[in-house]
Amino acid sequence: MYYGRATDQTIQERGECGGVITAVLVAALEHKLVDGALVIKRGESIYNGAPFFATTREQITEAAGSLHCAPTLSAKWIKNNLDGARDVRIAVTCKPCDARAIIELSKRNQINIDNVYMIGVNCGGTMRPEPAREMFRQFYEIDPDDVAKEEIAKGKLIVVTKDGKHKELSIDALEAEGYGRRTNCQRCEYNIPCMADLACGNWGVIGEDAGRATFIEVRTQKGQKLLDTAIEARAIALRDAPREGIALREKLDAIMVKMARKAMATQFAQFDGEHKFERLFAQFDKCDGCRKCIDVCPICSCVECFTNKEFVVPKDTAPPDPMFHLTRLMHVSPSCVNCGQCEDACPLNIPLAAITHMVQSSVQQTLGYVPGQSIADAIPLSTLAEVKA
Amino acid sequence: MSQAREDTGMDEGQWEPRILTFCCNWCSYAGADGAGVARMQYPPNARVIRVMCTGRINPLFIVKGFLAGADMVMVLGCHFGDCHYLKGNYTCDMRMTYLKAYLHAIGINPDRLYWDQISASEGIKFTETMHKVVSKAKTLGPIANELGAHAKGVHTEGSQPETCEFDAHADGVQDGPTDAVTADIF
Repeated sequence: MYYGRATDQTIQERGECGGVITAVLVAALEHKLVDGALVIKRGESIYNGAPFFATTREQITEAAGSLHCAPTLSAKWIKNNLDGARDVRIAVTCKPCDARAIIELSKRNQINIDNVYMIGVNCGGTMRPEPAREMFRQFYEIDPDDVAKEEIAKGKLIVVTKDGKHKELSIDALEAEGYGRRTNCQRCEYNIPCMADLACGNWGVIGEDAGRATFIEVRTQKGQKLLDTAIEARAIALRDAPREGIALREKLDAIMVKMARKAMATQFAQFDGEHKFERLFAQFDKCDGCRKCIDVCPICSCVECFTNKEFVVPKDTAPPDPMFHLTRLMHVSPSCVNCGQCEDACPLNIPLAAITHMVQSSVQQTLGYVPGQSIADAIPLSTLAEVKA
Repeated sequence: MSQAREDTGMDEGQWEPRILTFCCNWCSYAGADGAGVARMQYPPNARVIRVMCTGRINPLFIVKGFLAGADMVMVLGCHFGDCHYLKGNYTCDMRMTYLKAYLHAIGINPDRLYWDQISASEGIKFTETMHKVVSKAKTLGPIANELGAHAKGVHTEGSQPETCEFDAHADGVQDGPTDAVTADIF
């Protein structure tokens, strides 16, 4: 585990915390380790970001820095737009949910994981753009377009405006009002991307380096290769992370996990208990069957969807037959990575991610399968295990 | 429903559980046949669907069965090692384990799914299982109690059994699905 910093002055300034990730991406590209880097490129404002396949140094540098108000998922983008990285080697920056989704897709032979270098970034949560604007206007009393940077630290959501003013509010209070992070992020137990090749972030960076260096943990051999390439290219400067820093990072993670468990308990309580089925369908019956949830889901990858069969779901009814939702839940829930894309895409605001995550955490007790953790774990029900009796 | 009532000769208004039964062609269906040939008496609540192998059963068939108004679903297959297709019943076992956890998660009592193994020569076991499952179904009550408006062709009015409210603990079912799941299988 290291503290790292980009050696290039421009990259260091543009990057969020020392520009390590940008420098590693550039080094990997320039030393032909990868053909391109999948980054999140900022649109006209901080509320707008989209996956972008960068193939030059300038394009990568341009995309440096993080966007907390533009929730995206690169996994399905790789499958749809890069043919699952079949013939192209890529480095991709990922939140833990991106990394987990990439692993799940590669288990389904939709992404060639051998060609994908995952550079994970710590994630404490993202915000949906429109509610975030509303929140900045209402609670921070600033023009949402004046926001230059936002950061979640020590239980506070800190906003920095373009003229350099700071304002911070407690994230718990904001979330109690229905604002703050997306609900799936509130429930997320995976804040450090330990399933990626490199796990980076600003957690655990203490002393004079705080805010100016990135904490780097090498998780796989591929991660080591990435780092070695960057060191050889003299793109980054490393030093060993102090023990206190490592402990702090673990402590922060533990706090986040505890918060997530609490959020899970409160959010799942709205469906649990008596008449659970009816409570779920009070939500599902809002559905008009637009199938956007299926389009965006990183787990849904069948060529021919089972819900398209007339004998399962009769055509052209609204709300669709209950089998539509029950089929989706059955197929997705063992592997749901709680990325929240279904909920974001839903035009009728059905809490799809909450329901799928609830079913996932419930069946996980039986299946013993934690989705997106390791490429070595087989998908449940796909292989016949040794006989019990 | 009226059709079903005629089939089984039930009186109007009296609730009788309907049990959707999937039987493996090679074992349980022959077992049921044997029970019939030997004139063994068993309750008429089962609607039997013959499948070539329990490994053919998509768990969604069972979910759809519940939505179509089955109060219980029974899956009967070969004993382990006896599968005509070598390992179809292992596949089924695996799926039923998942399905029970899934049913629990979506708010259907996993006890409504019964999975057992009956060989071609076990006519007696078939009738005993039938008695057992029907009385179980009567204690669980109509599926409409759990599905609400989504259960099709089902009576929500009329005489209902005394313990129609779903109470997992009364039936000895644990909160977590894990225990409930393995209990019935072996």
